[in-house]
Amino acid sequence: MKKRLISALLVSAMCLSLTACGGSGGSSDGGSSDGGGSSSGAFRVAIWDNNQQPGIQEICDLFTEETGIDVQVEVKEWDSYWTLLEAGASGGDMPDVFWMHANNSQIYMNNDMLLKLDDYIDKSDKIDMDKYLPQVTALYTYDGSYYAIPKDYDTIALWYNKTMFDEAGLEYPNENWTWDDLYDTALKLTDKDAKKYGYALNVTNDQDSYWNIIYSKGGYVLSDDHKSSGYDDPKTLEAMDFVGKLLSDVCPPASVMAETQTDVLFQSGTAAMITQGSWMVPAFKQNEYTAENCDVAMIPYDKETGIRASICNGLGWAAAASTKRPDDCWKLIEWLGSEEMQIKQAELGVTMSAYEGTSDAWASNTDLFNLAAHLDMAEESAVEGVENKVVEYPFTYNAVKWTSQCQKDLVAAWDDPSLMEEKCKEFAGTMNDIIASESK
Amino acid sequence: MTNSKSEAKAPAKQKMTTWEKNQLFWGWLFIIPTMLGLIILNLYPIVDTIYQSMCKTGDFGKGNIFVGFENFSRMFGDSEVWQALLNTIKYAIIEVPFSICFALVLAVLLNRKMVGRSAYRAIFFLPMIVAPAAVAMVWRWLYNSQFGLLNNLFGLKVEWISNPKIAWISIAIIGVWSILGYNIVLFISGLQEIPHDYYEAADIDGASGVQAFFNITIPLLSPTIFFVLITRVIGALQVFDLIYMVMDQSNKALPKVESLVYLFYRESFDFGDKGYGSTIVVLLLIVILIVTVFQMIGQKKWVHYE
Repeated sequence: MKKRLISALLVSAMCLSLTACGGSGGSSDGGSSDGGGSSSGAFRVAIWDNNQQPGIQEICDLFTEETGIDVQVEVKEWDSYWTLLEAGASGGDMPDVFWMHANNSQIYMNNDMLLKLDDYIDKSDKIDMDKYLPQVTALYTYDGSYYAIPKDYDTIALWYNKTMFDEAGLEYPNENWTWDDLYDTALKLTDKDAKKYGYALNVTNDQDSYWNIIYSKGGYVLSDDHKSSGYDDPKTLEAMDFVGKLLSDVCPPASVMAETQTDVLFQSGTAAMITQGSWMVPAFKQNEYTAENCDVAMIPYDKETGIRASICNGLGWAAAASTKRPDDCWKLIEWLGSEEMQIKQAELGVTMSAYEGTSDAWASNTDLFNLAAHLDMAEESAVEGVENKVVEYPFTYNAVKWTSQCQKDLVAAWDDPSLMEEKCKEFAGTMNDIIASESK
Repeated sequence: MTNSKSEAKAPAKQKMTTWEKNQLFWGWLFIIPTMLGLIILNLYPIVDTIYQSMCKTGDFGKGNIFVGFENFSRMFGDSEVWQALLNTIKYAIIEVPFSICFALVLAVLLNRKMVGRSAYRAIFFLPMIVAPAAVAMVWRWLYNSQFGLLNNLFGLKVEWISNPKIAWISIAIIGVWSILGYNIVLFISGLQEIPHDYYEAADIDGASGVQAFFNITIPLLSPTIFFVLITRVIGALQVFDLIYMVMDQSNKALPKVESLVYLFYRESFDFGDKGYGSTIVVLLLIVILIVTVFQMIGQKKWVHYE
């Protein structure tokens, strides 16, 4: 009898605690698990890119030397980064200083989660907002107020495997390439039996893959007023049709790319070409294989429109509105945004810096690759009849919602490109509904 | 137990003796930490989740608007939720029986005197102490269709985690593997409570090892089996981390594998719709309650308490 009672009790306790885990595990974890560090007096800085961590830590160490404020740089993977930041924002326990992204900045600024920087900027002699790339500044300006200091900007370029090109006896990609050239060459490099592919398209990262093709072919993702979807635009559909052609003829099967990330496929010599953002340079530099065998050229343009498009995004350094040490936060942000440290960031090869006139410093951070391919994107075109178009990252109030939905809805089309048009049109409707329902 | 008796007596206006007061004081003192934990970490979130399931939730937990059963009616029309429920049940149907059967057999084997017993026990328990995320990453690479060990070792061309027909089984296999050690430990402790006399008597009567297993071990172990069954069913219905870590968002098999908790996570944290996420998890709560109630009723038929 006693045993039965105990087992019944145990079971009911289990039942309760297990269900509760399902219900609230995510949020309670997020709030408390990393809270420990803050009491020690160290300043918490959160970023999501492991490749940039050493450089950022170095710059923060210099800050510590200068001011005596301890800074602890925590890296969280992209997905969990936003889950944690959101949980922290809801629970009032955010990191002090952190990266902001165009996908999320609107919702954070609108809800007063970020420290308003206007007064600090006015008083500062180090920060002048006109010195930063305006596309990036715009992402973190809300109602005329500044909420983050631009950290960097990125452009997309075409990375290729020299060895695979040499073996096939083909000419390396260059700035005169059109998307058709890419397709034709990729077709020659593809040998499906030998598991060699000409190109790999990272479908889970719209920014460094198909969005560029859409804008290059005259289509759009989001209307200029940030209100309606461009996925059903005829030009966009045409571009997506080309994406489908790439996927079915010259890319690894969608299931392979879902199982193994495209940058891994590129780094292992399975895919000969890949479009990647400038933020990948530190990773490619460190990887022995890519350092030895790979190089980078400008992203192709479209023959008909003459447009060479690269989505341009930039991160910003923001501080939590709820921080207990706003002045220290500002000191750090000011430090990170100062001309000196922006140059330092470029020299260390962390990323391209948002501060004007820092590109030479970044270009010379390594001689392994022709980094001009990334920088030239933001300059006047050197090729006649071609327009270099830096496209501001499309955002709405809560862009995460439709970008995630898009990844989910287009899976069928990645697998079977003949469904591309149907799925894109379907998604355009869904996306319009999502944008319409965004709370303001 | 004495504690609850003295509590019951108290309202009857009998004066408590000092001993009883002491009992009351220390009794409460010992259970209060656990109770506080339960209330703050479990009960309150449950109530709040149920409330949120009836809200259109605002960003960052601010400005929730009560909308009654709107989320529920949306859920009833959402075929993805029902597919996810089916996926979850399919997962449980593989994970629970297999993990219990294998663990039972292994526990009996590991309970005998044999060379290297502790080493074997440690090996089988290892998956339990490895972080689930690490387990998932290792299996993800084992299953990889291009570079994976499984395909390369056996010269296969199976898309273990991308073929919608088999991906859910592949995931369930990881589940069985990683929970085996935990079940074995519970079974071994249950086995050690069975007096050895029964086996000696059976031996004298000429029963074979298999007969002894079915007629002595299983009935006497049934309370432990019941406990494992209940907790495993609940655990399996809440599967999330394996799917989240192993399957990429662009995996075409995902719709046939994603579980209710996976869906809850995506709605709540990727899409930021906490209200609808809560609704999904309330559905899961109801499913688990129903399953558990039936199991509690069903136990009378097969669980033998001494």
